[in-house]
Amino acid sequence: MNAITSRPLNDTLCDERQAFAELARDLAAKKLVENIEENDRYPFGGLFTEAIDDAGTVGFYGVNLGAEHGGVDMNTGMIAVILEQLSRVDASLAAVVFTNAAALEIIKQASADADCSAVYGKISSLGVVPIAFQSFSGPDELEMPSVDNTGRVTGNACYVALGNIADYAIIPAKKNGVEGFSWYLLGLKENISTSKPIVSLGLHACPGVDIELSGAQGLLIGREGGGREYFNGMQDGMSLCAAAMSLGIMKGSYKSALEYTADRYQGGRQIIDWTQVRMMLANMAIEAKTGEALLARACQERDNELQGWEFTARAAAIHIGELATRSASDGVQLFGGNGYMKDYPQEKRMRDARQTQGLLGMAAYKKIQYIAASLEEDR
Amino acid sequence: MKPWKFSRKEKERLLNDGPKIWEAYNSMECQHRLPKNIHRDVKTAIAIARKFNNEVLRPMYLERELKHMEDHDFLSWDILKVAGDWKLYSLFIPKLFGGQGLNFLGLFPFIEEISSVCAGLGHIIFVHYLGIATVFPSFNAKILNKVLRDVAKSEKEGTPRLLDLVITEPDAGTDVQEPLLFDKARIGTDLQRTEGGYLLNGRKIFISNGHLSYWHIVMFWADRKNPAETFIQLVVPNGAKGFSFGNKEKKMGNLGSTASELIFEDCFVPDDMVTLECTDPHIAKSPKGVRWIIHAIVDYVVSSSRAGVGAIATGICRTAYEKALDYSKKKTIGQDLLINHQWAQIILTDMYRNTAMSRLVYMESSYADMLSGLFKLLTKKPIDAILRYTPKWMFALMSPLTGLRLTTWFLRKYYFDWYTEDERNVSSGLASIAKYTCSDIGLINANLALDIMGADGLRHEFGAEKCFRDVKLQQIYESTNQINQMNSFYCLVGSTAPEVEYFK
Repeated sequence: MNAITSRPLNDTLCDERQAFAELARDLAAKKLVENIEENDRYPFGGLFTEAIDDAGTVGFYGVNLGAEHGGVDMNTGMIAVILEQLSRVDASLAAVVFTNAAALEIIKQASADADCSAVYGKISSLGVVPIAFQSFSGPDELEMPSVDNTGRVTGNACYVALGNIADYAIIPAKKNGVEGFSWYLLGLKENISTSKPIVSLGLHACPGVDIELSGAQGLLIGREGGGREYFNGMQDGMSLCAAAMSLGIMKGSYKSALEYTADRYQGGRQIIDWTQVRMMLANMAIEAKTGEALLARACQERDNELQGWEFTARAAAIHIGELATRSASDGVQLFGGNGYMKDYPQEKRMRDARQTQGLLGMAAYKKIQYIAASLEEDR
Repeated sequence: MKPWKFSRKEKERLLNDGPKIWEAYNSMECQHRLPKNIHRDVKTAIAIARKFNNEVLRPMYLERELKHMEDHDFLSWDILKVAGDWKLYSLFIPKLFGGQGLNFLGLFPFIEEISSVCAGLGHIIFVHYLGIATVFPSFNAKILNKVLRDVAKSEKEGTPRLLDLVITEPDAGTDVQEPLLFDKARIGTDLQRTEGGYLLNGRKIFISNGHLSYWHIVMFWADRKNPAETFIQLVVPNGAKGFSFGNKEKKMGNLGSTASELIFEDCFVPDDMVTLECTDPHIAKSPKGVRWIIHAIVDYVVSSSRAGVGAIATGICRTAYEKALDYSKKKTIGQDLLINHQWAQIILTDMYRNTAMSRLVYMESSYADMLSGLFKLLTKKPIDAILRYTPKWMFALMSPLTGLRLTTWFLRKYYFDWYTEDERNVSSGLASIAKYTCSDIGLINANLALDIMGADGLRHEFGAEKCFRDVKLQQIYESTNQINQMNSFYCLVGSTAPEVEYFK
């Protein structure tokens, strides 16, 4: 229901949502929950390639891919369902799914005003192996490589998530004489060199690298100079996914904090029975519930294509991202010294929550862009 | 006639009717009560730290951090040694005990400086002095002399022997650090009287510097059912029979230092290494009562240690600001340098403000510590003059005097029986406020740095994400911020209301 108009919102996708949620829960339980600490060791330990492959096998890399390309042709709200479930346990795999979905969303946006069948056709592992993308940056923050008239791309692409495990990447580049920037599909085998894996704050098992391009052949996606428009369109939809990851981390934090505080004794009683602790738990519960309501509303608006759903989605991502970082930090606090140690899942959640806030660009700048877009809309 | 004319008595009453001068204006009080040389000591300490940072730490701390990430069992013995070569472990030990003799007031900004590059090393040095601050309030001059002289000697020989503080147990953390909760603690360790000393059994965990230290200042309780009145402090050196190291914790941050498990299996501690026990006549027969004395001893320790955590947090807070500032001068967002975006300028200003506020808070606590806490004797002008101008060789000659019972008697009389509730409340209360304020502010700044450094901020080599990981520890150890809030309530808020009950 819309609080102002009382207009009912349709939810025709309820069954699908439930099915995807169960699938994600199942995958998390089987592939993630036992090895959270070990998986987080990357790049100083092995990468959980089996889990990454399994996510492809169950179709998580094809949710927003058209049916004609072997996907299930759902909007990003459905991906959000998956990401929330995964992130309750380990947000790194969610970030892998996110990165691929964001890359596909760029092609999807471009398909609206240009024929992208050649692009889809070129990706031999479409829907099976995730596509690399600079998921932690907005275009205004990037130093983009240049592209010549033959589509050869030269320069550096920084922090390309999945750049060392994907077959393809979608990268923005600038061309002389063309205003703005364009998106290109690049194979990651020829005329490129990659750095060592980046050591990041969180989401360790969603690996990132810097890529040096030395005339790598790029395939234009959509219209030349249409880069910003496609990014903005992608950002609207993928904001739901970023919010869902943050929400999943919050819910995981709250659940773990409840369990731990009921189990831990200090001062002669379970610490959950100290009202100071309860106040912190209350804040976490309220933040998780608020986040859940906000994301549900944003997804509903998206599904029903209500006017302005894009702003709700972006606001949800920014706000729930902030809530999650605070909530995960409170979670560590409730665990006390144990919360700071890797034997418990909470310190990872705190790092992951903060890293998730950086999805799709600099946290502070996203607010500036939000208000700029909002003012533009009002005009 | 001036409208505000009042008698001396009335002025005194007015000054006590509201925040007291000694409660709210410690820095101002220090201006006329501290010996002049202390000012010079503080500046010297800051200069030494900055030189050490420039020549030793800054060129290598990020690379070293990666080694710790790769191998959680890795210990930076080489850096530990270099810090010893720079005499950093004896810098603030009084010359009376063989140290360099800089006044302890300088320790706090010194720790901020070191932590502004590497909170891990800041933590190592700070915990070493925390160990000293723990053994100090036993006022067992003989053991103090033995341990502290060994610190200075071993440092000179190139094999520095550090101190740590050993208290936390697997099931007893907060409640063995907070005197009001002592009686409810689930103590799992055991101490038995035996001929010529004590036998210790059990595990202690989360011991900062554990594997890096030689002298372990350990807390045990003779009667688990009555811990508040059976507290015992002992000194266990490496190599003691029955003492061994367990695991090293795998931490989120502060990777340069270590959090260790220490294991005691029929570990024998001779009587001459027992620094303090409740049956000591000075304590058992004190008119203040055993519980009050033990509470005061704990507060002597935490008043200095929590201000120290505030200093570490401030160092990290400042690093976050400096990293963000440097970044903003180079990074272009859209068409403009980040620093030329007004919204970024405001964030950077807030970060500067946060750092400045944080420093004021921990320094105010440090001043309170000088006037009303553990270091108050060192600020007395005649004592300062003796400690400062007496040659080291003369102290070495006088060293046996520290073994006299009279010395310990005098120190305990001064620090236990003449200590007032007001002094304890202000030094302990402000230290708690410093600890939880600075760590909270530090986390705010770490978040702000990440807010404006985007994807680069998330990368290790830019140094901002390290701030985020490191500063979180400051909210947790030396009792969680929540316990520090309660201690501040106890000392500064609840103390004005006789009907109040604590930990109800």
